[in-house]
Amino acid sequence: MSDGPGPLGANPNSPGAIAVNRQATIAVPAPRALLSRAMRETLANYAYLLPAAVCLGGTVLFPILKAIHMSLYHNVLSRPQDYQFIGIGNYLRMIHDPTFWLTLKNSFTWVFWSVSIQFVLGFLGALLLNAEFKGRAFYRTLNLLPWIIPGVVVGLVWEYLYQPNYGPINDILRRVGLLRVPIAWLSDLNLAMPAVVFTNIWRGIPFFSIMILAGLQAIPDEVYEAATVDGASVIQRFWHVTLPMLRPIIIVATATRIIWTFNYADLIFVMTSGGPANATQITSSYTLLSAYTDLDFGYAATLSVILLVIMLIFTAFYLKFTKGVESVSG
Amino acid sequence: MTHEKFCASRRKFLQTMAASGAIAASDLAWWEAPFLSPRKASAASVVRFQFSVPEPLRISLVESLIERFHKAQSEVEVKVEFVPQAQARQKVITAIAAGNPPDLCMMWDNWLGELDGMGALEDLTSQIKSWKHYAATTPTAWQTVTVKGKIVSFPWAITNDAIFVRTDRAKEYGLQAPTADWTWDDFLTLAKGFTKPEKNQYGFGLRGGGTWAVLYASEFLYGNGAQVLKDGKVAINSPEAVSAFEWYIDLIRKHKVTPPSAPTDAYRQIVEGFGRGVTSMYLHNSGSIEEQKKFVGEPNFATLPIPIGPAKKRASFFFSETLTMFKAAKNKEGAWKFMTFLMDDEPHFDYCKTLGLLPTREALTKRPPYTGAAYAGFVGSFPFSIVSPYLAYPGWGGKLDSEGVPLFQQAFVGQLTPKQCLDKFAEMLTKNMA
Repeated sequence: MSDGPGPLGANPNSPGAIAVNRQATIAVPAPRALLSRAMRETLANYAYLLPAAVCLGGTVLFPILKAIHMSLYHNVLSRPQDYQFIGIGNYLRMIHDPTFWLTLKNSFTWVFWSVSIQFVLGFLGALLLNAEFKGRAFYRTLNLLPWIIPGVVVGLVWEYLYQPNYGPINDILRRVGLLRVPIAWLSDLNLAMPAVVFTNIWRGIPFFSIMILAGLQAIPDEVYEAATVDGASVIQRFWHVTLPMLRPIIIVATATRIIWTFNYADLIFVMTSGGPANATQITSSYTLLSAYTDLDFGYAATLSVILLVIMLIFTAFYLKFTKGVESVSG
Repeated sequence: MTHEKFCASRRKFLQTMAASGAIAASDLAWWEAPFLSPRKASAASVVRFQFSVPEPLRISLVESLIERFHKAQSEVEVKVEFVPQAQARQKVITAIAAGNPPDLCMMWDNWLGELDGMGALEDLTSQIKSWKHYAATTPTAWQTVTVKGKIVSFPWAITNDAIFVRTDRAKEYGLQAPTADWTWDDFLTLAKGFTKPEKNQYGFGLRGGGTWAVLYASEFLYGNGAQVLKDGKVAINSPEAVSAFEWYIDLIRKHKVTPPSAPTDAYRQIVEGFGRGVTSMYLHNSGSIEEQKKFVGEPNFATLPIPIGPAKKRASFFFSETLTMFKAAKNKEGAWKFMTFLMDDEPHFDYCKTLGLLPTREALTKRPPYTGAAYAGFVGSFPFSIVSPYLAYPGWGGKLDSEGVPLFQQAFVGQLTPKQCLDKFAEMLTKNMA
């Protein structure tokens, strides 16, 4: 201890100065925060995610839960006095509803033929567009047009094309001598579903061709060169190089397209409204009909829950089937 | 230091987003005036009016009528919402269910039973009976808007169904011109004479799509003595009805006097088919007269009552476009004022004449164009026109479309026999008689 003035300019030996110095030298722990720094950072991160979670919950989770809730009630909007809890009553009604089973069969027909032919033709289109030729960029853009046009417009245009009395398809067929009597494409029980499937194929080909084209362009040329050097023919290169390397994209594109097509009601809604006599009625359009014509929201909710279950089962199989696909194809 | 600055800026960002969201949420109201909109200078009370729009012509027509109403008085301001026909019924029902219907709605009479079953309609009986034109209005028109003894709407326009016939083509093919008391046999003979598949021409544009596919078929069934309801029970599958339905379906399947698309042809297809010359006859209400005058030319067609059936009977179903006020309307006085304006002579006549519909007061039907050949079939059908029997039960409303039409289509394409179709149809009607 010195006799000179301390840092405070006072006598460092005075009782006050000694007390201050004692306070300055005694270590006092800082007040402990309620939450640790790591916890505060974690909470801040969740807070930033909260708006997105709320939006997702509100637009995805809530409607699903609400639909499940509605499916347990007799809920016809024009008969509010009959609103009541009926448990699985709507599900039992669905099991005994022949129209539901017909629409399920139609849905599988619709999906199977639409997606399989879209895939084959889309693949062929991608192979063509991958080749070098003059005007390729133009044709690639043209190829996208059916996909870009809104579904309702596609439906209206093709409805006009199929019109038996003044539509261009029948007119051209008659002029070239292939038709004597007009064909009612959308009114014939046997032709209505093929006609709408054809329209859906036309619309969906660009999706597959673009996805597969992207995959084709990602395949390194060296792989093909190596295969050529090894003596592989065109077909062998396609089978042993192209297809395996495209497998992840094919699986993703096909699964996505299956899900969209299964739920896709606007083409059918516009072109045939599910007719004639429910020949083109699929489950999603039947759901729309139940909700917005019968105003039977309980039953419509039941149908939409069943659609959800079917898609979940499909997705589960898809995930199981594609597990490890990327490592296998890599 | 950098971390603190980063945390502070994220916090400020979140606060800014929250404030923006609050301001946006305050302006979400749709029917009500937005919080941030400029305030009105006038003190006029607002009437919300929902109008269904089958065609664009109606938009300009209704807007001009509203403008005339605004010029005639200043206490009431009408705000109209035009809703596509396909969504109109759902929209009004969901609005009622949500407790927020418009004050006034233009709707078809076949919705009234359903809405009355929801307890949504205002009973206008006493007001209407003291209205100046009550006695002059056709009694059948009042029947279309009377539910369980209560008058719930104004019949804004009425119409029934008649057969449109290409008289020029009948002359061209040397066919005998039909008369107003023609029979089913005359009808079939004419249809066969008009049918030339090699020219893509067919005798009759039968309607297979939409609710009216069921109604038009039913009108023919009445010609054989059938009825939808008899002694309070569903009787649409009686032997007379089955036999008549067999005759009707034979037009498609045996005689082939209808276009191949008939099983799914709806309103536009039957109107355009006639307009383009594909068909030479079709059954419809007077609403397509003005369109056919432009398509085909007024001198080239005429309208005739539905032909007389084997039981020496025939029926044409009346239906009306109504002006309906809701029990939960916020401005009933304003809505009544607007409704009575629209039902006054000149606005009422202008509305009906422009759309080819029939006025509800006989005096107005004595004016042109209702005195011409184009309207002869409809005016001539008045004596045997009845209110549509399908209005009897509100539960039948949506079911005609969702279950009735597919059944009839199955019969049209041969998937069901006429008897099977009518039996299933009768079962559906009976089930929904509540």
